Amino acid sequence: MRQLLLIAARNLFQHRRRTLLLGGAIGGVTALLVILLELSTGLRATILRSATTLMTGHVNVAGFYKVTAGQSAPVVTQYEKVLELVRQTVPEIDFIVERSRGWAKVISDTGSIQAGIGGVEIRNEPGLHKVLRISEGSLDDLAQPNTILIFQDQAKKLDVKVGDTLTISAPTPRGTNNTLDLRVVAIAKDLGLLSAFNVFIPATSLRALYQLREDTTGALMIYLKDIRLVPAVHARLRNALPKAGYALMDNDPKAFWQKFDSVNREDWTGQKLDITNWDDEVSFVMYTVTALDVLTGALTFILLVIIAVGVMNTMWIAIRERTREIGTLRAIGMQRARVLSMFVTEALVLGLSATAAGALVGMLICAVLNAAQISVPIGVQLFLMNDTLTLLADPLKIFGSVLFITLCTSAISLIPSFLAARMKPITAMHYIG
Amino acid sequence: MRPAASSAIFLAVALLLGGSPARAAMSKDQLLQLLRTLDDRQQNNGDYKSLIYLEQKEKDKTDVVREGIVYRRSADQKLMILFSKPKSEQGKGYLRLEKNLWSYDPNVGKWERRTERERIAGTDSRRADFDESRLAEEYDASDEGDDKLGAYNVHKITLKVKEGVDVAFPIVKLWVDNETSNILKRQEFALSGRLMRTLYYPRWQKQYSESKKGDFWYPPEIRIYDEVEKANSTIVLIKAVDLHALESNIFTKAWFESKSR
Repeated sequence: MRQLLLIAARNLFQHRRRTLLLGGAIGGVTALLVILLELSTGLRATILRSATTLMTGHVNVAGFYKVTAGQSAPVVTQYEKVLELVRQTVPEIDFIVERSRGWAKVISDTGSIQAGIGGVEIRNEPGLHKVLRISEGSLDDLAQPNTILIFQDQAKKLDVKVGDTLTISAPTPRGTNNTLDLRVVAIAKDLGLLSAFNVFIPATSLRALYQLREDTTGALMIYLKDIRLVPAVHARLRNALPKAGYALMDNDPKAFWQKFDSVNREDWTGQKLDITNWDDEVSFVMYTVTALDVLTGALTFILLVIIAVGVMNTMWIAIRERTREIGTLRAIGMQRARVLSMFVTEALVLGLSATAAGALVGMLICAVLNAAQISVPIGVQLFLMNDTLTLLADPLKIFGSVLFITLCTSAISLIPSFLAARMKPITAMHYIG
Repeated sequence: MRPAASSAIFLAVALLLGGSPARAAMSKDQLLQLLRTLDDRQQNNGDYKSLIYLEQKEKDKTDVVREGIVYRRSADQKLMILFSKPKSEQGKGYLRLEKNLWSYDPNVGKWERRTERERIAGTDSRRADFDESRLAEEYDASDEGDDKLGAYNVHKITLKVKEGVDVAFPIVKLWVDNETSNILKRQEFALSGRLMRTLYYPRWQKQYSESKKGDFWYPPEIRIYDEVEKANSTIVLIKAVDLHALESNIFTKAWFESKSR
């Protein structure tokens, strides 16, 4: 094996220009793949961090209350009993946040937007303090009644600044129209699509808007010590709540505001609970991650085909140049399998060194981009869920991509190597190239 | 004496009294009678069909005009709105069965249950604007005295929703023409007391109804102004009112779907 490695290394060194060109191409593709993977991982991490603060817990116990079959409200009544049951059922809880929910029209003198309304007790929301970056006003002022926090793009659309008044208009669970005048106390920096659909007001104001009692909330947002426990906790709650007499909605992996139509179509009235996890609640933005993954896959495939053609072509040239050498080696007793191994090893050495170098370059570029905190345009912010470019290295994924590209380049070299190994020694020795 | 005739006489007397400057406030019974009269004028006690046009104006959007047909049956309070134009709205509509309002979209082929108090086709109009008037059933009235509305002498009353009744707007103000007892203006308020919609009824027309054995009144035009999003408004035009009996089986989802295709 050592001999084969030595031959491969010497041969690659001997044809430096060819090696550098092909190795550079393989390294370039690996670097690109690493950058795209880090972008995808960064995007997923940003969504998880932002979404699990802005609009969902790791697992949520929420639900709908219907006064009539056609009128639903995202409400959990007598939530304290549900909360107690959740605490008993899930010992892995880190903390729980009660968040009131609504879906209403936010209106200024010059425009209007439709938004999900989060009713918060700002003193009990340490996560919001961590994730939201306030560009104007103060987040703590949200403790005052009839106040509102909006995001930069919303402020621009509504043409308002801190201190201005906005009106929220929504029907109560009984279908009667109600409005609430709110003072803008904070404008936060945008967080992509997630912030486009959310505003925050004090929970008491939200209850006043919807004419709800004190013992109602919108969702119990459960945060776990270990996020990997989400599927198990989700399943356990789906089992425990019906046993305690609560009616559960069918599992529907969507954000709560996407369920109004289907809930209104159903015949039941009264309370039904709905258990979702963070993945369900952000399903409407996960397409960005999926799109990026598809783009990465497609781009990698195209580049791999180009590299494969390059590797095969180079191997053909090498075999053509070394036909007489192959003949001699075969004549002095080298077996076919050994000839095959010789060429495959060459491709393997080239592939491994090029992908390793490419991965290093890719990670270096990502580190530089992260350090530079590059601001991205608003259109890209919607896609990235952040106002700066964030890339995150996942060692396992990077190792996987290095291995994958190396295996691809080695596999493609099997065809010319196999043909070289099949040559008869006498034919090869007489070959005049 | 028929109830409609007695109500009309009562309204005339009440409004004549209203014309004098020192008129005493109307009693509860008088106000209830007034509401019954207003309802009765707009009720047909039979079937109803009309062509409607909805002109929707929204800020920063192109005006949209919808054409549709409204079908009504007084006996079981059924209502159906079937849109025929523009092409994108063709076959869409609403069907009120018992206390449920259903919306249908032929592109999806699904019936969605809606609240009765929802906007119709995303305009500023509501189901109640196309349905029979039920003011006496839903509201308690209080007297606000006489007022002037442009050149018209009007009587102003405030309505508050009755306990346990669900309506889109819990407070309504009406301006009733002293001379004709037509509603000329209507303002609707949210629970918070904020003005939400102002409606103007520039004209009223009457048509003899066989089923009612009397005159049926309807506004050929309703101008609806959104008071929250000030730039939005809707004009409803009601034409070709037909008070003859409709087929017995039309208020069904199957019939609606057959017309939607």
